[in-house]
Amino acid sequence: MAMEYFAGISDALRLTFVQVMILATLSIGIFLIGMYINLKKWGMGSTGYGDAPSKSVLAFPKTLMYQMNEHAHVHNQSVLETFVLDILFQRRILRRSPLRWFMHFTIFFGWMALFALSLAMFLVEMIHMVAGEAAHSLPEFMNPAVFRELLAVPNDIFSYILLTGIIIAIYRRLFVTKVREATIAYDSILLIGLTVITITGFIADGIRTGRFWGFDMPYEWAPPAALFHVIISLLFCIAYIPFSKYIHMIAIPLALLANKGGE
Amino acid sequence: MAKREPSINTENFTAVQLMELDSCSRCGECVEWCPTYDASGKDPGLAPRDKILRWREYMNKSYGLRAKLFGPKEIPEEDIEEFKDDVYGCTTCGMCATVCESAINTVELWESMRANLVKRGNGPYGKQGAFLKLIGEYKNPYMADNKDRTNWFPEDVQIEDKAEVLYYGGCTAELRQRKLALATARVLNKLGIKFTMLGEDEICCGSALIRTGQYFVEDTAKVNAQKNIDNIVAKGAKIVLYACAGCYRASLVDWPRLTGKELPFKVVHITEFLQDLIEKGEIKWEKSIDKKVTYHDPCHLGRHVGVFEPPRAVLEAIPGIEFIEMDRIKENQRCCGAGGGVKAGIPDLALGVASTRVEDALATNSDVLSSACPFCKRNLSDGRDAIGAQELEVEDVIVLTAEAMGIDLSDTPE
Repeated sequence: MAMEYFAGISDALRLTFVQVMILATLSIGIFLIGMYINLKKWGMGSTGYGDAPSKSVLAFPKTLMYQMNEHAHVHNQSVLETFVLDILFQRRILRRSPLRWFMHFTIFFGWMALFALSLAMFLVEMIHMVAGEAAHSLPEFMNPAVFRELLAVPNDIFSYILLTGIIIAIYRRLFVTKVREATIAYDSILLIGLTVITITGFIADGIRTGRFWGFDMPYEWAPPAALFHVIISLLFCIAYIPFSKYIHMIAIPLALLANKGGE
Repeated sequence: MAKREPSINTENFTAVQLMELDSCSRCGECVEWCPTYDASGKDPGLAPRDKILRWREYMNKSYGLRAKLFGPKEIPEEDIEEFKDDVYGCTTCGMCATVCESAINTVELWESMRANLVKRGNGPYGKQGAFLKLIGEYKNPYMADNKDRTNWFPEDVQIEDKAEVLYYGGCTAELRQRKLALATARVLNKLGIKFTMLGEDEICCGSALIRTGQYFVEDTAKVNAQKNIDNIVAKGAKIVLYACAGCYRASLVDWPRLTGKELPFKVVHITEFLQDLIEKGEIKWEKSIDKKVTYHDPCHLGRHVGVFEPPRAVLEAIPGIEFIEMDRIKENQRCCGAGGGVKAGIPDLALGVASTRVEDALATNSDVLSSACPFCKRNLSDGRDAIGAQELEVEDVIVLTAEAMGIDLSDTPE
């Protein structure tokens, strides 16, 4: 059966598209509510050393800005240096453990790249859909089918980069005694979620392309598999962020900025 | 039914600190390096990561989503009491902050937790509770007559009534480790530096109160900091010298914070001052100290404010000294165990940490374990005695300097 199927948007899957859009909106809504609760929680602190609790939702941004502009006695590195070397390159992890840095960096880098590619695919499909009859006047590469093929190789590369990091993380949690003994549900849920999202992504792609990760499953299962992958990605990676260890994706960069890259 | 009140509150935490609780990735680096966790036989409660986790859970139970929907969940009082014990089992050395992959300012986080628990009625820990009364009553934590800070100096020591340079001696050097205070005074005299001191007008720098979370009670630390500042200004000082790492850190970092004003004088550690003079060739050495010397970075001088090189420069300039580094130095130094109120509150833990640090020094085959803080000297000496390593001399850099300058300190009173 020939099927127009890219990121889930096609006439045949119109309902799926609507569902996904509703779910995406819902996920973003839950994320925003969660972040508001977190900002309120952080805002229970004061805006300065020894001051009374502020209890304002603006307390956190105010204190963050103050600290970022404050003179530090040991390190006074610039915001740019903190952003590039500490947030993007994650050198504090590298200093402590090259293996853990490799693990975390592959997860971070693979994840971010796949997110960007998925977003690009989604945008191309949206443009194509909105353009309607005028779509034929768009550049050739803006055709979703063509664009999907363009992304196929980078998608594969970044997926395997991500998978490499996840495999190392699972190995550490299971076989490195010290790490295993210190693991709590807070850590496990993050890794389990990440693993399920990644593996379902591979499977959905494998069913569609008929490659190894499809495990010879029927081609018809491709749309629901993709839908499942999208749903759990949205729930885990957007909605669940403020309520779980995923919050570290937001909080660590903020801590690095607040403390000028740390001691 | 009335809505239950949260079991904890957020007093003494800044908004950024509450965010930092959520930024811990639980990588475990802090656990690997924590000196009190190590010395306690790896008591899980002392692991920095665990303290962050517990307070985060307290926060979520009190102010998280569930608390918003169904009301705060009660935290058993015994849990909070146990948490208090653990949060005081920390020397505030800052090693956890150095290795923290999330760059959490852990020292200030522990201090905020302590202050919160003091306000809540749980803290401080053991004998630390006496600090406030003692400092309030005696202006020092040793129950000593404040006149005894400087009235014991031998007559040859020249202390000006007013001068541009002021030596802030600190309670421990003036009242307990007098050799160090005398060495500093005589070195300055011999160098021809006219200096003054606060004498009986000097008040505890506040480090003990701040580190143990008691700084806000009756604003004692703030009031004392301001009095010290005013007294220093009245002496006409532009440069204030410190031979105590704790006082130096408190003056440089805590006083401006407490008073909300920049200091009207320059805060200089004696080793920074000496390094400058050595570079200008203004110090004449008279004696060779033919010993192998290693150096312990005081946390409050090194990791907290970044003074790593000056003490080393002084030691390396002293004739005859063979300077040897320990494995863990500078940012990665191992704490002596005395700070954060641990020496007063949990002396066994302080001794355990000190013993490990002495073993670090013994591994270098040094004759002398030096430092630049009277409190470190005290605890490292205790650690040395505890493991029976009497062959290792524990001495301050300023005392070694005095010796090399031909200064006799044998008349130091007890």
